[in-house]
Amino acid sequence: MSLTMPALIDAQKLTKRYGKYTALDQVSFTIDTGRIVGLIGPNGAGKTSALRAILGLSSYEGTLSVLGREPFSDRTALMNEACFIADVAVLPGWLRVDQAIEFVAGVHPRFRRDHAEALLAKTQITGKRRMRELSKGMKTQVHLALTMAIDAKLLVLDEPTLGLDILARRAFYDALVNDFMDDTRTILITTHQVEEVENLLTDLIFIDRGHIALAMPVEDIPTRYAVVAVTENEVEAARALEPIYERRTLGKTLFYFEAPDFEKLAGFGEIMTPSVSDLFVAKMSGSAV
Amino acid sequence: MNTFKWLVRREFWENRAIWIAPAAVGALQTLAILFGTVNISGITDNNALATPDQGTVIGGLALFIFGVVFFAVAYVYAFWYLLDCLYADRKDRSILFWKSLPITDAQTVLAKLFIGLIAIPLVYFVAADVTTLLMAVIVSLRFRSFIGAALWHPDQWLQMQVLWLYLIVTMGIWYLPLAGWFMVVSAWARRAVILWSILPPVAILILERWFVGTHVVARLLVDWSSGYAAHTFIEPPANGWATAIIGGHAITRPESIWGMVTPAYFFSSPATWICIFVGSALVFAAIQLRLRRAEV
Repeated sequence: MSLTMPALIDAQKLTKRYGKYTALDQVSFTIDTGRIVGLIGPNGAGKTSALRAILGLSSYEGTLSVLGREPFSDRTALMNEACFIADVAVLPGWLRVDQAIEFVAGVHPRFRRDHAEALLAKTQITGKRRMRELSKGMKTQVHLALTMAIDAKLLVLDEPTLGLDILARRAFYDALVNDFMDDTRTILITTHQVEEVENLLTDLIFIDRGHIALAMPVEDIPTRYAVVAVTENEVEAARALEPIYERRTLGKTLFYFEAPDFEKLAGFGEIMTPSVSDLFVAKMSGSAV
Repeated sequence: MNTFKWLVRREFWENRAIWIAPAAVGALQTLAILFGTVNISGITDNNALATPDQGTVIGGLALFIFGVVFFAVAYVYAFWYLLDCLYADRKDRSILFWKSLPITDAQTVLAKLFIGLIAIPLVYFVAADVTTLLMAVIVSLRFRSFIGAALWHPDQWLQMQVLWLYLIVTMGIWYLPLAGWFMVVSAWARRAVILWSILPPVAILILERWFVGTHVVARLLVDWSSGYAAHTFIEPPANGWATAIIGGHAITRPESIWGMVTPAYFFSSPATWICIFVGSALVFAAIQLRLRRAEV
């Protein structure tokens, strides 16, 4: 991140309490323009609390700036430039597709109506249908068309594909990358299903029980994490190098290392880069001990 | 302002009962007029309404009764709407869609308040007008000289319009605290909005009775809810009563609406301004709750 350009999202000591329960505990992170960031954690880790704070839907402690604004007191102005899909099933059942387009066109200065209509024309959905008559996949298409047609700088997605079948999920993420993303825009996705988004993301934020477990660009993984497959008689030697996680597979044991000494690891054979999913499991299992 | 217009349109899309219910009431009344039999105080023959006075009284009474039915339904529906309006979208989670748009919570709450206290009564007002016009036509054709002519009194018609519009304005102001309270409950409760709308006031009444031994709150509530008529209408009317003997019964009504309404008194009464103040404070509280609450 350059020094002259402020981060798109800047959270410092962000804290959210519900009574005695602390959902987010002094969390700090920044997100820059043009990135696709995955906010990943198990259920109940604090993902939704973080998103709610970023979108101005709830109050919080600490400092938080989104597109240069304080989200809670300035939600309306923020929503001119940011948009979000908080789960796909939130379009009300009574709303007709054409009414949804008309309404958003009426209240949103950055909504491009022709764009939304063009996106919907590619589907089987007609304007007179009500949301309650549509399948979950179709509702997603409508919501996505509405959201994509907003010329927004930031798109926030909260578990966007929950309850969708594999075809609808794939279509959702394809549309996201092809129709929305460019280098002036930023996407923040929360999910607990890492494998679904791992090829999409440029940045990772792992969150666990209200704390950040990891925050880094995906491109840095090869230099900061390594995994080696070790045979039975070398297990003790590998363990001595303090792996963060180990996993037995057929005949071999996989050892995961953080900030590894690549020269020493080379002795065990080929050094591999862990996938995002592996990294997630490694970090989450490690911290759970 | 443009956003407000869209918010109001949205409420009409969502709550189709706003116009379906008055249309149904109007249709029922029209059916009754088309096929029903008339038996007003034993008048059954064409010569019963011999004098113009009798005609005016019967006509005015008919317009009034039909209108009252509309407005009774309108306000029952309006307050039910206000109790539900900030709760329904939290329950079905569509609030997360509405909040993704650049609309302030104040705009949302005020649009819904406008629907409850102004738009719904106005729709019923129009429906009542259409129905009574239709009634006048049908009755004229069916009964001719009997009471048909009684309904065609332009002055009386105009007076009714003024009465209803005056009612809408004064009801909206006097019962603003009730509307505000319902919106607070609607924005706050996680379930059982009807119960929550009744329970806290009742609890305060009982606690006051038990621990303080007085019933100040109870008296306040009774005075307020029953004080509406005393603040909006003069009794007896300034220009007296008109009485007509019809079929052996004396039917009395005010000489004219003009002598009954008291806007100057209504707007200068401290009670009215207390209603405005308390109501506004509750609406403000509803907006603050709306800011902080997402789904239930």
